[in-house]
Amino acid sequence: MSVTNLLDNWAAVRHFHPIDDKPHDPYKWAMAIDLDACIGCNACAVACYAENNLPVVGREKFKHGQVMHWMRIERYWEEDGRDFPDQGFQFLPMMCQQCEAAPCETVCPVGATNHTQDGLNSQIYNRCIGSRYCSANCPFKVRYFNWYDYPTTENVWPAEMNYQLNPDVTVRGKGVMEKCTFCVQRLRAAEVTAKGEGRIVREGEVQTACQQSCPTGAISFGNLVDPESRVHKQWQAQQVDLDKDAQEKNQKEGGTDLRGYRILEELRSYPSVMYLERVRESAV
Amino acid sequence: MHRYLCFPAILAGFLMAVGCYAATDQQPTLTTEDDLGPQVQQPIEFPHYRHAGNRNTVDLTNSDPTKGGMEINCQYCHTYARRSLTAGIPPLQKCVGCHQNIPSVRDKPRIVELFKYWDAKKAIPWKKVHDLPDFVRFNHERHIKRFIEQQGRPVQEVCGYCHGQVKEMTTARRQKPITMGWCVSCHMKEHVVVVANKDGIPEGGTPLGKQAYWYTFQKPAETKNAAGELTAKGPNDCWLCHK
Amino acid sequence: MIDSDSVKNLAGHPFDRRDFLKVLGWGGAAAALSGCGNTSIEDGKETVVSYVEAKDYVIPGVAVYFNSTCAQCDAGCSITGKIREGRVLKLEGNPESPINKGKLCGLGQAAVQHHYNPDRVREPLLRKGDKGEAISWEKAYALINEKLAGVKGEEIALLSGDVSGHQKVLLGNYMDSLGSKNHFVYEAVSPAVVRAANLKFYGVEMPRYRIDKAKVVLSFGADFLGTWVSPVHFAQQYAAFRKGVDGQRGVLIQAESKMTLTGANADRWLAVRPGTEGILALGIINALGVSTGDVAELVKDYDKARVSRDTGVEPSNIDKIAALLKLRSPSLVLAGGAAEGYVHGMQNAAAINLLNQVLGNVGKTIEAPVSVPFPQMAPSKGRTAALKDLNDGLAAGKYKVLFNVATNPVFTAPASYKFRDNMAKAGFKVAFAHYLDETALQADLVLPLDSEMEDWGTHVPEYLADTVQINIQQPLMERLHANTRGMGDILLALVKQRRAEEYKAFDDYYGYLRSAVLQNKAALGGAGSDDDTFWNDTLSNGIVKLSGASGALSLKVDVSGLKLPAPKEIDEQYPMNLIPAVTSNLRDGRHTNQPWIQESPDPLTTIVWDSWVEMHPKMALQLGIVEGDIVKVTSKTGSVSAQVYLFPGIYPDAVSIPIGRGHDAMGRYAKGYGVNPFEIMDAVFESATGELAMHETRVNITKTGQRVIVVKDEGPAGGRQMGRKIAARVSTDQVDLSKEV
Repeated sequence: MSVTNLLDNWAAVRHFHPIDDKPHDPYKWAMAIDLDACIGCNACAVACYAENNLPVVGREKFKHGQVMHWMRIERYWEEDGRDFPDQGFQFLPMMCQQCEAAPCETVCPVGATNHTQDGLNSQIYNRCIGSRYCSANCPFKVRYFNWYDYPTTENVWPAEMNYQLNPDVTVRGKGVMEKCTFCVQRLRAAEVTAKGEGRIVREGEVQTACQQSCPTGAISFGNLVDPESRVHKQWQAQQVDLDKDAQEKNQKEGGTDLRGYRILEELRSYPSVMYLERVRESAV
Repeated sequence: MHRYLCFPAILAGFLMAVGCYAATDQQPTLTTEDDLGPQVQQPIEFPHYRHAGNRNTVDLTNSDPTKGGMEINCQYCHTYARRSLTAGIPPLQKCVGCHQNIPSVRDKPRIVELFKYWDAKKAIPWKKVHDLPDFVRFNHERHIKRFIEQQGRPVQEVCGYCHGQVKEMTTARRQKPITMGWCVSCHMKEHVVVVANKDGIPEGGTPLGKQAYWYTFQKPAETKNAAGELTAKGPNDCWLCHK
Repeated sequence: MIDSDSVKNLAGHPFDRRDFLKVLGWGGAAAALSGCGNTSIEDGKETVVSYVEAKDYVIPGVAVYFNSTCAQCDAGCSITGKIREGRVLKLEGNPESPINKGKLCGLGQAAVQHHYNPDRVREPLLRKGDKGEAISWEKAYALINEKLAGVKGEEIALLSGDVSGHQKVLLGNYMDSLGSKNHFVYEAVSPAVVRAANLKFYGVEMPRYRIDKAKVVLSFGADFLGTWVSPVHFAQQYAAFRKGVDGQRGVLIQAESKMTLTGANADRWLAVRPGTEGILALGIINALGVSTGDVAELVKDYDKARVSRDTGVEPSNIDKIAALLKLRSPSLVLAGGAAEGYVHGMQNAAAINLLNQVLGNVGKTIEAPVSVPFPQMAPSKGRTAALKDLNDGLAAGKYKVLFNVATNPVFTAPASYKFRDNMAKAGFKVAFAHYLDETALQADLVLPLDSEMEDWGTHVPEYLADTVQINIQQPLMERLHANTRGMGDILLALVKQRRAEEYKAFDDYYGYLRSAVLQNKAALGGAGSDDDTFWNDTLSNGIVKLSGASGALSLKVDVSGLKLPAPKEIDEQYPMNLIPAVTSNLRDGRHTNQPWIQESPDPLTTIVWDSWVEMHPKMALQLGIVEGDIVKVTSKTGSVSAQVYLFPGIYPDAVSIPIGRGHDAMGRYAKGYGVNPFEIMDAVFESATGELAMHETRVNITKTGQRVIVVKDEGPAGGRQMGRKIAARVSTDQVDLSKEV
């Protein structure tokens, strides 16, 4: 997305995806998360802190809802009059869904968040003016705003702790919105390497930080347009289509025996993350 | 970004946008003395002209043709640039590796200084000449791959796009504005791309993605320049440099 | 990964390695540290720090990876550290390790925050009144030597946590050189009772549990996904178990009094009256109706009605579980923290093991462990009974010199031990410490330790996957603070004071380790390769894998001693059971000063940065308590006050407080956050093993009238279920998992 594109035809740009005049080629990064494998252990969330220079805000700011976890684990249980959550919890890792027609993109007054050709919802910190419209418009509430200048806030990165900061990721200052990037620094590095070798990124060549750490392998990530990728196979097996707001399989008589679904897809934001429903044993 | 920077940033962005728009398909404007970076005082006044300058053509004070430049490839010392985002600084070992075998200049003040650092096993505190804001990640490796390795352009010409005629300098001085608008002005130009094979796919490209080389907005669209060469613009994805 | 040639160069010359590991300045690789702060272009202002000499594979801006071993807990996961410009940035799992197969939990990842922690001890400190005075290492060593002069061996005690590998060998040799047998191996949280029960039943302390082979797992409070034994390994087994054997998805049933992370993932979670886990196990054996002989005789009184009355589990659930276990075989039954934390913990564990035997799981999902060919390196596992013994000795004034290797008993001993006071009775107390924690503050001499990312070492995990593995620990970067030392180096220096002749060949622990490993080259699978190659390969891999013999378990079923007490009567004065919860983030509280750990929400309650009293909503309703009320929890030993969180995953008669917070020292991220349940824990012990019975404390709850906002991730009270529909769920009869990719 360049400034000329913005000026030329803003409307065309913002409706760019998933309208098929320019299909994703050769990349469309997407994810599939198996909620039956997710155990809610938080390894992904900590991996995200480590990879993406997320500040630790402390108790007081956490209380005010200013926590900066790009990846959070939501958890639910059945409360239908039972004494105990006797069928366990449902954990759901929630991060930016990298919508194809992202509601956040259309409302940014300065074009700081926009779509990339490989299907990511980019957030450009140096362009952001902190209007927070994007956050207000995000149905998943996965955008986080820097209310403070964390690099200079006491005990966020005191001496030596800052040695851990990832040089490939900008440390955000005050007044900027941020969110999950699908570890874009890793993607770009892999893409650029592949480009130099005249090929596309192979399946398994790039992992997001959360995927890499997940002990149960609940998260798979890859190139949705590559028929060899696990994500592609999963989406296909679950009959979830990127460019539909209501999946055909759900409209069949008698429901479906497939687990794949996308959160709030009826809002037509076309998320790039497919979840697989949690399974519970019917015999106990 | 600091709050007080926001407005100037928007303003600058807007002006840049207008500027870039007007500048489409034009050469970036020639740099003037105002665009030059400051003269940077380095701990050792390293003579680039001596190392990289052309043989016999460097205008040396004593005009002795035997003491011309040595035409050393930029990448001989700046070896990290082709392998990393960052060009880095050659390790001291690199300097000494040659200079311990050049007794003729060993007692020159700059070389004496060099060996002082070496004997103390202390790195030379060079000053940074080309500084970018912390949110910019320029990729040296990619540019070298694209223009030197794939297209076979001369090294000094390619490095010179951004660094100017370093081979004529002693210590380097910034020659180009190195602003985003300046970067983008080049990315918006049509650049010749490597020869296509019989399927119209650029050499090294893959059938899966005809745009293997252009995964950003500008598909080459089979545009050809007057010489009949396939051309394409550079990528213009914000997230390539800002992330 | 870097190629082996480079490693060879690197590892063969420790000096060069250090040069490489040195921290390269910011400018060297355009490291962005101030982000949007620096928007201006300031040519010529910043200094670019470069290398003097650099290896070919060291490229500014390109990461180098080194393998090592995680030391956050003792599961023995292998790690791969990402190093840029001499700084370790991130830890990933090492894919070559059979234990963690490339994965790493949140706690393991937070190890970088331990390494870079601003509150680490940086200098040897000698007590001068209330203050610590920085002294040199030479002076510290001389002081230890001086204080040991004339002290008899039996008057010297050493307290450490789990220890294995060459550090254990060296530690043993040092104690031997002092003529002391008083090495106390202590872990505040350990499955010691289960180990003892296993030893009696299977002949080994820790068999291999094959969750991945089981079709049903019935766990009595074993939090194998969160905290139990080797969580990352079990989580991977669990993933395979859920995918299923022959397409049949594994079923997890968890029976416990307070829900653990594993319980939260169960298909059926059973709230069990605290302490009655063994009764439930016998009840299930009874319901299975397959036993004969002694076993049938034993369980004949445990009919459904009685078991249901005692345990609080519905009779229909007992039937369902028995039916499922009968139908799907093999299954696996596990005994964990909730079962063992009572006076009759051993009996509970024995009853649970018996259930495994009745179900025919032994040999199918419970296998013999691979045996470690180097017994001197095999792990010594910590027990809480060890601390009790030490404490008794200290109280009696038996010890004149006390060494403490990075444990924190002042924090983790029940208040009734009066450990702080007893410790003062030892004449000279040396603490090897990372932080000035509660225990280090009581020491006379504090010696600062290297972090796991600066130190050399070998570790043998207790729980091994398929093969024997010796994990290598190696520095991932240059020492951050010039005056910290590795425990191995310290021990070597100390043992040299006694046996100079024997150890004179070793300049440092690195040299000792290298020669010790090379001595056993053939046994370690290096026959045929030269020393350098073998050593470099070993460092490069980060693991030595050996095929170990794995025999059959020698099962010994003896039910004669098995006797389970009836559930306790309600104590009018202290009507509630206190369950000190071990959470996956905090464990025993040694990691509390790592801010990622403090800020990553507890998986079940989503609370951060604070302790809480977990209470069932029904009980809270009875007591007129709402979320955020500060209550006073009083036991016979003492009382603490903390905020209430209403949580349905707990037996109504119980309250739970997590272990690990409530530090009054240690560092800026730990001090002053939350309360420490050890302060109110009664000193009650498991009858057969002498382990601390952590679940036996009984308490009462009183309101203080104060109320706070609970700081948690799920949003305000009552709002937690707003988005329930987004986490969709389906039952097994509605899906066909075998079709999935």
